[in-house]
Amino acid sequence: MRRATLLLTMSLRNVFRNRRRSLFALATIAMGAVGLFIFMGFNRGLMNQYRANTIRARWGHGQLYVQGYRDRAHPRPWEHWIEDPSAVMAQLRTLPGVLDLFPRLTVSAILVAGEHTVAGQGEGIDGAAEAGFFTQLNYRQGGDFRDRADGIVLGEGLARGLDVQPGEEIRLIVQGGEPAPSSAALRVTGIFHTGSQEFDSRAFRIPLGVAQRLLATDRVESIAVALGEVEAWPAFAEAVRASLPNLEAVPFDELDRIYYRHAVDWLDAQFAFIRGIILLVVFLGIFNVISMAVLERTREIGTLRANGDGRLAIALGHILEAVVLAAGWALSAGPLRDGVAMPPAPGITRSFRIQIELALGDALEVLGLAALTAVVGCLLPVWRAVRTPIADALRHV
Amino acid sequence: MSLYELRGVSYRYGRNGQAVSALADVDLDVEAGEFLAIGGPSGSGKTTLLNLLGLLHAPDAGTIRLDGRDASALGERERTRLRRERIAFIFQSLNLIPVLTAYENVEYVLFSRPLSSAERRRRTLDALAAVGIADQAGRRPQCMSGGQQQRVAIARALVRDVGVVLADEPTAALDQVTGRAVMDLLKRLNRDRGITFIFSTHDPRILAAADRVVHLADGRIAS
Repeated sequence: MRRATLLLTMSLRNVFRNRRRSLFALATIAMGAVGLFIFMGFNRGLMNQYRANTIRARWGHGQLYVQGYRDRAHPRPWEHWIEDPSAVMAQLRTLPGVLDLFPRLTVSAILVAGEHTVAGQGEGIDGAAEAGFFTQLNYRQGGDFRDRADGIVLGEGLARGLDVQPGEEIRLIVQGGEPAPSSAALRVTGIFHTGSQEFDSRAFRIPLGVAQRLLATDRVESIAVALGEVEAWPAFAEAVRASLPNLEAVPFDELDRIYYRHAVDWLDAQFAFIRGIILLVVFLGIFNVISMAVLERTREIGTLRANGDGRLAIALGHILEAVVLAAGWALSAGPLRDGVAMPPAPGITRSFRIQIELALGDALEVLGLAALTAVVGCLLPVWRAVRTPIADALRHV
Repeated sequence: MSLYELRGVSYRYGRNGQAVSALADVDLDVEAGEFLAIGGPSGSGKTTLLNLLGLLHAPDAGTIRLDGRDASALGERERTRLRRERIAFIFQSLNLIPVLTAYENVEYVLFSRPLSSAERRRRTLDALAAVGIADQAGRRPQCMSGGQQQRVAIARALVRDVGVVLADEPTAALDQVTGRAVMDLLKRLNRDRGITFIFSTHDPRILAAADRVVHLADGRIAS
């Protein structure tokens, strides 16, 4: 115990032995490690913000479908939708983590406004409920129809094709389950854009009740789910499997595989590369500083070995010093509160500010990585020094 | 049985390029409790002989027996262990660890032994007292005079109680008065404690203090 204390004391004092050099060493580790720490915080913030935007733009934390529904196309899809959605949603609300539920269905329609007629594909949604959760949809003009029973929002291209503005009326004609087409008169409340011109040229949203009436069904195609937190999804999905086995729970990153999942994988690969570069810089800095320190103490090392200390014991003392040095900076990073402005992420039309999310886990990881880098960086010079013949080490100046 | 028995010991430097003979065919016996000086001009092989006696090198040829055991055939690890058990050093340039106090410098070499902390403390304070610097225990080397630092180095050599102390030019870095005092101290420790001292020097006044002097010239024992 006393030896360990003395070794630690020695390491601490050695750190202050050549203050300028230690300061450079500390600065090297600190810059690298704090840079890495902030980078990880930035990365975490970016990923979390991107994830939150993706969830709140359209998908929710995931969606529920009838088992097998997504596997193939159906000539009369409404016959394969979720039956008795009110009862299903009542049961879903009892499951862990559920914040809100959003029943939806897809509807194809002919939209008529004055002389203009355009085909479109839209969704029937619970406007009031969705307005509270899906906050990331971008409106060029107007906004959600919320609880208006006759409201409709249109994609930018579709609105342009119909030549309508918010407040104007249009008629929807739908060929549903009945032999004759059904229709409804609706008033435009908003015009949105998603960034996908193809989507915006045919997409619209109408109240769920209107869509059900037009399709002559009381079913819903899917139920989007809002949870208290993303991490609650696996438990929720497991509960769905157990209590509603005819439903399939699909997480948002599976639904948005093309944009979100691939973007995350792509960014992760980039971040890993940058992290590697930062670690390499820290490693080279440490290697240089420790090499100098060890070279300066070659004679001391020779003395210790002449007095019967083993190579390993001496090396451990120097490695401990590197660890002490590496640990010195660990808590020096202050939280950055202002965030960093980011351009729109793939699949999302809004730019956003990244909060650099400094997390204890990241701090521990960076501490570990920098300490490991410092230790690895000192291994070679220390090993070379302790392997120097003792007589040569004693002569070293 | 002699403490040291050297037979036909040779050592060369620069094995891979041009080899320079540092010691050639040296025979030497050292008895326990001797106060032995190795004299000779610079480059005569004094330090090399001390290094061989201290088991810092293995000889290129010949045998070195310590306590009757052939130490020249031992591997690095065994030599380290034997050195730890039997041999202590005093260096010309002192080689104290500057970040440790006098007490800690002396105590440090005891960590390789299974001693209780009380016993380690007792031995450390005894060693410092034996060289007359117990009152300097808390000071670091850079805050001490050359003579005081050399006394710390001597205390460090004594504390392990190994019986053999090798000193390479122990007074070379000291002024004449301090050097004389250090030699008197070594002599007293030799007489009172029976410690074997083998030291190199080229100072004739220091040589005069020795019980026996071995003169080296060009790597061979001249007398």
